[in-house]
Amino acid sequence: MEEAVGKIWHRLVSQWAYQGYPEATVELDSIKSSLAVFLRALGGDGALKILAADKQAVKQRRSLLQRLAGTGTHAELAWSDQQSLLLPAKLDGFDSAWLNKTHYYWLVALASFSQDSPEYTNNWFVQMQQRCLSLIQQYPGLEKKYQALVSAHIANRPLIENLKGADAVAEKAIRQALLSPGSIDHMPDAEKGIAPVLLWLRPGQLHAAAVNTNSEADDGEQDHKPGKIKKADQRRHRAEYQQDQEQEPSLISIRHETDIFSLSEMLKIARPPEDDDDDDLDNAADMADDLEYLTLNKDQKSRASRVRFDLDLPASANGECELQGGKLLPEWHYQKQQYQKDFCRIVPVVNVDAGPADLPAHLKKTAARLRHQFENLINQQCWQRRQEDGAELDMEAVVDDFALRKLSSHDAEGKFYQQLRRKHRDMASLVLADLSLSTEAGLDDHQQVIDVIRDSLFLFAECLQQIAEPFAIYGFSSRKREYVRFHTIKGFGDNYNDQVKGQLQAIKPGFYTRMGAAIREASDVLKARPNKQKLLLILSDGKPNDLDQYEGRYGIEDTRKAIKDARQLGLTPFCLTIDQQGADYLPYLFGRNGFKVVQNADQLPLALPELYSQITGL
Amino acid sequence: MYKVNEMTTTELPFYQPVSNEIELFEHAFNHQLPVLIKGPTGCGKTRFIQYMAEKLKLPLQTVACHDDLSATDLLGRHLILDGQTQWHDGPLSRSVRGGGICYLDEIVEARKDTTVVIHPLTDDRRILPIDRTGEILHAPDNFMLVVSYNPGYTNLMKGLKPSTRQRFISLSFDYLPADQEQRVVEAETNIDSLRAKQLVSLANSLRNLKGQDLEESPSTRLLVYTATLMRSGFDNREACRAGLIEPLSDEPETITGLMEIVEACFG
Repeated sequence: MEEAVGKIWHRLVSQWAYQGYPEATVELDSIKSSLAVFLRALGGDGALKILAADKQAVKQRRSLLQRLAGTGTHAELAWSDQQSLLLPAKLDGFDSAWLNKTHYYWLVALASFSQDSPEYTNNWFVQMQQRCLSLIQQYPGLEKKYQALVSAHIANRPLIENLKGADAVAEKAIRQALLSPGSIDHMPDAEKGIAPVLLWLRPGQLHAAAVNTNSEADDGEQDHKPGKIKKADQRRHRAEYQQDQEQEPSLISIRHETDIFSLSEMLKIARPPEDDDDDDLDNAADMADDLEYLTLNKDQKSRASRVRFDLDLPASANGECELQGGKLLPEWHYQKQQYQKDFCRIVPVVNVDAGPADLPAHLKKTAARLRHQFENLINQQCWQRRQEDGAELDMEAVVDDFALRKLSSHDAEGKFYQQLRRKHRDMASLVLADLSLSTEAGLDDHQQVIDVIRDSLFLFAECLQQIAEPFAIYGFSSRKREYVRFHTIKGFGDNYNDQVKGQLQAIKPGFYTRMGAAIREASDVLKARPNKQKLLLILSDGKPNDLDQYEGRYGIEDTRKAIKDARQLGLTPFCLTIDQQGADYLPYLFGRNGFKVVQNADQLPLALPELYSQITGL
Repeated sequence: MYKVNEMTTTELPFYQPVSNEIELFEHAFNHQLPVLIKGPTGCGKTRFIQYMAEKLKLPLQTVACHDDLSATDLLGRHLILDGQTQWHDGPLSRSVRGGGICYLDEIVEARKDTTVVIHPLTDDRRILPIDRTGEILHAPDNFMLVVSYNPGYTNLMKGLKPSTRQRFISLSFDYLPADQEQRVVEAETNIDSLRAKQLVSLANSLRNLKGQDLEESPSTRLLVYTATLMRSGFDNREACRAGLIEPLSDEPETITGLMEIVEACFG
């Protein structure tokens, strides 16, 4: 009874304390794609992922109601780092949906700056004002919207009369900065904290300087099982590697403004390796959802590979060792904007145990149908009309021509014939299949992702064999840069025979997805072909990733560079994926028209040949 | 099957030079060198040729290439006239006989056999053999071959063969720097300079999206169209939607995002 009354009380008081407008709510998910376009058009970083931000602790003077309800301690503030732009999952602070939507676009506009003038970079208060100013100057249409947002936001802010002393002075300063940006360059200290400025980005960036750099060694000793990774939801957790206590405290930069806005709590989620209790790990994941700021202690063996939140860790410097043997390929380092020479080792792999095999029985019917379709497509001939020479008279042309000559018009062309012509093409295709461990994931009780990939490759091979166009099939997987397996299933020189079918039958999932290196190697193979058109089809089930820094931005940028280079070589790269989140990052890699997401993985086997005929204009 | 425009106007068309292209073109003409102009769509390639033809006082034959354009269309053909067959020159042969500039616009679009026809014209022989009549035409000194293509064209299944590319002096065009592009928009449409400036700034925002959200950048030509709509009194925002946004994308979410930029620029 007591509990029930408590719950009702909490609900009531929370409702009273709630200051939003539910009917005017705008959800991030509903406008995310448009926001991304807006961000890029304003010159924002094309690789930034737009995600929902976590609630962050804020220090502000709370009203009596808020204190009763226990609200007002956290807020979802927008911020960005090198990989993502974090925005509130929904906005309902203003009374019209238009204003809330405008609020989103405004935050995105603020985040579109890749570089501020150096004099402001360390002064968040001035930096935000300067960004507002230059946005309004550059995009005069934003001024009206900004003014509407500011007056609505100020109406929501605590009244100055209700504040005392330092708090009132600070609030006045914030209001002045909002109303006439650029007019004030000092943020007075507040006593109890000030209400968060929702029209600005959250202060404080991550500091790469404060990171321990022994992650490579850690990685090697841990038993990685990517199949068992526990994914937290799409929200990102703000994280920072904490320096060891004994080390110079001066290495950690503490920002003055951060005190006002964020109260971070310490949680040691780093735990001894022998502690392998699944419950604990689940708890840790839950706790991470509650805490907005994680501190990882890197000197203990962290089990971060088991519990993987989507952490925003600054990229750690990598141990650079010379590789020997195998074929060495460079890798692109986007921060340095240069290639790292001989950085990856390509290890060619052929399955020697695979014996000859036949086309799997369950594909025979489909294969026969597709072969027939392709046969028809390639043999499709059409009458070309109004030809000077040809097999038959084009009666319509003759009649036209006679009529025109009777009128003594000079438009008569004298093309009386029609000719049947077959489409001529000179194309080589290379299919590069992702054989990483993620393809082990089950689709249903009977099938894994690798099975549909295998079936797709079989059907693709059957079709191309039928129309006698040269093709090759390779697979790839990787375990860090020293070991990028490049699996030959069918080279351009091989005949598509039972031996090749045996190789196809024998493909197995293994390791990770170092896509850039594999694309570079495949480009090397394909560019040697004499054919005029060269298609590089990439079959994938997810993002580039590997055990080292390849996860995240680095891997995306390297893959993008490899695709760009392939285009330079005159190849046509195209990606077919079953990753439903593919639309988030594939446009950046392959361009808007360079990829296709197959909605249902079961459809992949049929989608591949269909796509082939579509994009090659068969 | 082909379009031929013979420029007869005497007034020099408006052209905003970017660097030394005019001088380079004149040198190429004086030494009978063929020229290849590459650049994105609507950046002023055709206008430049028109301008040069006028400046050098040469007749201009423009052939807009398309995928059905064959060698015969360029060379000419026999026609049956009043019971007799007569040879009729195509635009290329006509240009070679009479002198002047023959401009093959978007050459990659044409069928493969057409590029072979122009090869003997582009080296020091400067001849045009016509098989059907058994003639070999020698190009006069005032004949100049100019071709253009758009390298950013996404269909990579089509492209210019390296052996063809290597026969031309090449000039690369791109969209103008903001202030110059603004001047072009103003000169073409008489729009006020504030709106011209806003339009150009909008276009440059949209150009950031090429390759990722948009297949092609908005061209100067589209800017001129949009400015024309605005100049004639059409609503700024709607003119941008019709003149700039809708021609570039079909995806509703992209269009929504792009319209926000329009609002940011025009309010």
